[in-house]
Amino acid sequence: MLQSIILSGLAIGSIYALIGVTYNVMFSASRVFSFTAGTLGMLGGVLGSLFITRYGMPIAIGFLLVLIGGAIFGIITEILAVRPVLRSIEQHLYVLSTLALALMVQQLAAIEWGTDARPFPRLLDLARGDFDQQYWLPMLACIAVIVGLELLYRHTIIGHAFLAIAEDAYAARALGLPERRLRMASFALAGAIGALAGFAGGELLLAFFGNAPMLTFYGFIPVALGGMGNNRGAVAAGLLLGLFQQAANFEVGGIFASVAVFAVFIIVLLVRPEGLSGGALQRRV
Amino acid sequence: MPISAAEPPRSAAEPPRSAAEPLLDVAGLATGYGKIGVLHAVDLKINAGEVVALLGPNGAGKTTLLRAVSGLLPWTGRVTFAGIDLAGLSPRETVQAGLAHVIEGHRVFTQLAVLDNLLLAAYDLPRRERSSRVEEALALFPEIATKRHERAAALSGGQQQMLAVAQGLVRRPRLLMLDEPSAGLSPVLVDRVFVVVRRLREAGTAVLLVEQLIEKALALADRVYALARGAIVLEAKTSEPDLPTRLEHAYLATART
Amino acid sequence: MSTPAAQLTPSRANLLGTSSAWSAALPFLVLLAFGLAFPLFGGGYWGVIATRACVYWVLVSGLNLVVGFAGQIAIGWVALLTLGAYTTSVLVAGTVTPELSPYVALAIAAVAGALFGLIIGLPALRLRTFYFAITTLGFATIVTQIALAWGSVTGGGVGVAGPVFPWPFDSQWGFYYFCFGLAAICTWMTANIASSRFGRALTAIRDAEVAAEACGIAKPGLLIAVFLFSGAVAGIAGGLFATLQTYITPDAFTLDLSVLFFIAILIGGRGSILGPLLGTMLLTVLPEFAAPLVAWSTFLYAVLLLVIVLVIPGGIAELLDFKNRRPLETHRAILPRPELLQHLFGSMPQGSALTLKEVALSFGGVRAIDGLDLAIHPGQVHGLIGPNGSGKTTTLNVISGYYAQQHGVVSLNGAALPLFVRHRRAHMRIARTFQTPRIVGAASVLENVMIGGTIDGAGTFAESLLSLPRHRRDEATLREAAMLALATVGLERLAGVRADRLQHSELRFTEIARALMLRPAFLLLDEPAAGLSPDEITRLGALIVAIAKAGTGVLLVEHHADLIFDICHHVTVLNLGKTLAAGTPAQIRSHREVVNAYLGG
Repeated sequence: MLQSIILSGLAIGSIYALIGVTYNVMFSASRVFSFTAGTLGMLGGVLGSLFITRYGMPIAIGFLLVLIGGAIFGIITEILAVRPVLRSIEQHLYVLSTLALALMVQQLAAIEWGTDARPFPRLLDLARGDFDQQYWLPMLACIAVIVGLELLYRHTIIGHAFLAIAEDAYAARALGLPERRLRMASFALAGAIGALAGFAGGELLLAFFGNAPMLTFYGFIPVALGGMGNNRGAVAAGLLLGLFQQAANFEVGGIFASVAVFAVFIIVLLVRPEGLSGGALQRRV
Repeated sequence: MPISAAEPPRSAAEPPRSAAEPLLDVAGLATGYGKIGVLHAVDLKINAGEVVALLGPNGAGKTTLLRAVSGLLPWTGRVTFAGIDLAGLSPRETVQAGLAHVIEGHRVFTQLAVLDNLLLAAYDLPRRERSSRVEEALALFPEIATKRHERAAALSGGQQQMLAVAQGLVRRPRLLMLDEPSAGLSPVLVDRVFVVVRRLREAGTAVLLVEQLIEKALALADRVYALARGAIVLEAKTSEPDLPTRLEHAYLATART
Repeated sequence: MSTPAAQLTPSRANLLGTSSAWSAALPFLVLLAFGLAFPLFGGGYWGVIATRACVYWVLVSGLNLVVGFAGQIAIGWVALLTLGAYTTSVLVAGTVTPELSPYVALAIAAVAGALFGLIIGLPALRLRTFYFAITTLGFATIVTQIALAWGSVTGGGVGVAGPVFPWPFDSQWGFYYFCFGLAAICTWMTANIASSRFGRALTAIRDAEVAAEACGIAKPGLLIAVFLFSGAVAGIAGGLFATLQTYITPDAFTLDLSVLFFIAILIGGRGSILGPLLGTMLLTVLPEFAAPLVAWSTFLYAVLLLVIVLVIPGGIAELLDFKNRRPLETHRAILPRPELLQHLFGSMPQGSALTLKEVALSFGGVRAIDGLDLAIHPGQVHGLIGPNGSGKTTTLNVISGYYAQQHGVVSLNGAALPLFVRHRRAHMRIARTFQTPRIVGAASVLENVMIGGTIDGAGTFAESLLSLPRHRRDEATLREAAMLALATVGLERLAGVRADRLQHSELRFTEIARALMLRPAFLLLDEPAAGLSPDEITRLGALIVAIAKAGTGVLLVEHHADLIFDICHHVTVLNLGKTLAAGTPAQIRSHREVVNAYLGG
């Protein structure tokens, strides 16, 4: 039992961590937390099932289209819900605009795809067993994203530009960096990561429109606990969250596991509003 | 408050090379933050290769003027740079036109290495030119060239300021706007920065210098503008003998007493 | 104090006041008449829709204070509806307790709702916007899950029957009138709050939190009251909802419902009662016009929300605000009347000086203030000048409690001012203005100024809710004082105008009027002349001099050297957080070092 708690915990935790990273990538580029993070995860599952199961596309093509779809939705988010409110005096409009967009897509999925959870295709037909692909695919995706992001941020000039905008967008603009285009690129990247989370976790979470608010909530917990903008913190907190949730699931049952997770989340936030690791990006006075 | 007595005799101070088109020509510029008007009808000219000091008391709008010219703030009026109309241009486009703005407070990217900070300044340049341009800028600042692989967070305030100036130079600008490069620096480091400015002038780069250290700025500059209460209140060549008194009057608006 | 106010608000303005009160009440009276007469022309299914709109409004009216007034983004309020519905149904069914009368059960649901409203709301005191939004979202999902899992009480997925109210509320129209009555009472109560010092304080917390604190508004107490009220009416709405549904299961309480409540408020417009009321009616009725719309309703709400946010952030209320679409005079001069100060201030008790002794404060190794001594005397204007970063605004922020000094004491009447507790400064009659004016753009100029007198009210939140005499007296006094303060600074003609339509200079004088509402013993002005025309600066100077003459000690942080030298009794020059020089303006002006430092030499 311990083994299955750990396996499923790490798998679910990887999905939460990836949604957390999705939040972070968007936040770094714009200082905006977007409600669309969980919606992206939902889209990854629904689009994957749509392309591969319903349309019968080859898995590789379906996968690519899912990533592209996520990236496009990321760009739409930037254009429709983020850019118009960034310069507004009213600071919190982004909460409303991204919420509106997230609801629109979620409802669209409910209407066009249906409100029932539908199966997600088996991606690789390897032998089923304890160490099933539905567990290790999310973990693999999480590792791939983390390694990829590290390489991007460390070794490419566009990654450096992302970091520059995250640290001091004003200075980056004054230096002549194409801030708007970089922000769009960040949102496209975040979109692809979010869709990947839903795709890799498709067998676990199924293709279900209701995953959107669920992932929006559980994916934000790693961000809040790991420190905003801090990807490593998000991954660590996401995995912990997954393990805790699965353990509580086995010990006290599903519903009260959610209650336990929620209680811990609120208490930790109230005690440490900046997250467990403290503020990640300190601004100079 | 009548300030007419402090009004400069503008016609007498017209630049001698009036035949040549000025490099930067600002006419009737007005800008501000939202409802707050900061500058009203600012006129200012900078010729190619000239060092101009922009002085003025706190809150006069010096930083705001630089921000407007480089496209960081929206403005109305007319600004041309090297024959290009700057109306509506983004900071990126003004940089591409050859106008570099080193903002106040040496805000370099502390998470990145010195070299990467400079490479970012070369973001829009062709890939193969980037590192040669970076080396060219670094050559002016040996003290940060030796730390090129360290993160900018590890630099002292003065070194960060040098890095910021070097970032501005990577694009080989025709006009470099420096906003209080001496702020927070020790006198020795200030002199180092000013030596670089002098060398830039020798190389033909025009410099617009906003500075609190008036005497040093005057020693370096060819001409000076003073900004007070949102408008230019004085324009003079630094060689004019009664400049300090006139500046004081322009600043404190005490000319009427 | 009443005589001068009556003099300066001629009868026309008084008439205007009453007539505008009538025109504000008119839409509500029309809705009341419509609602009462509704059974005459609407029948059957429309009765259910109308009842549903009433039930929703009972909840939304309370949530409106949280979202529309206090600006807290509470998305998951359906959690409280669920709670209220199950509490009432289970208590009436008598499965776990003896059977209770529906009225008692409804009252218990209100208490439970208030309690949980507080629990859901409390994180708002500590968390930032998005965090709070997410936690309310979490609550909403959790409560439905509990309802599903706790089968022994809630009936799980099978559900439980809703309560039936006894005669005369057991028929369709009887129950309609019951809900309509409650909705009307909620409208009346929240409208009372909206037009009270509490409602204005909530909008101040929403749009200008820092200024709210400077006016002595304590956010925790106020928000607790609002969450309790909002939770209670949500609990009641839950009970009514259960009756309306006749049978409830967890899937009746979807997030869509939460979204409807939330969006109704934003479509209606923040800071309004009428707007969200119309918004609720609109969103309840909209899907009924065409069957295909039902499936798309939440999608449409979301589209509406996006459009509202991007295009008309003011919502329906702004569209209906005809009064503020009339153009204002273009060339308006601000003509202060300092002679009115004596009426506004009355007789000021003479206190002693506000003193700073060896105050020091560093930010991460940088010494912002470094051993500063300063004394501000009643009746004098004390100028504080110095280059950027010399510590002027930091000094002001230490006095008003935004920063806590690491060394030294700030004392008043021999007692040290406590660190941090910012809103207590107002009770000590220390008022301030800000470098960039912090005002509530959507409120009228008069309301903005009335915010300054919040701490002078005597009535409680509950008294305002029910519009008891003490509340009405508070309002009358505050309104009169605010008109006087506006006349003093020369803005009485703009009293009814939305503050965000004002020019920058007018906002600066509005802030001063707001500060004067405290009858301040000390007034801290942070660059009041910035962005003013030369004429306005002259008038500002005269006003400041008059304020000091009336007994207030003024601390003036300013870049305009001429203003400082003209009106100050005493000037302190700061450089690098230390006093560079102190003395009379004449002494300072001839101080060589000062001239150099101020010029930056």
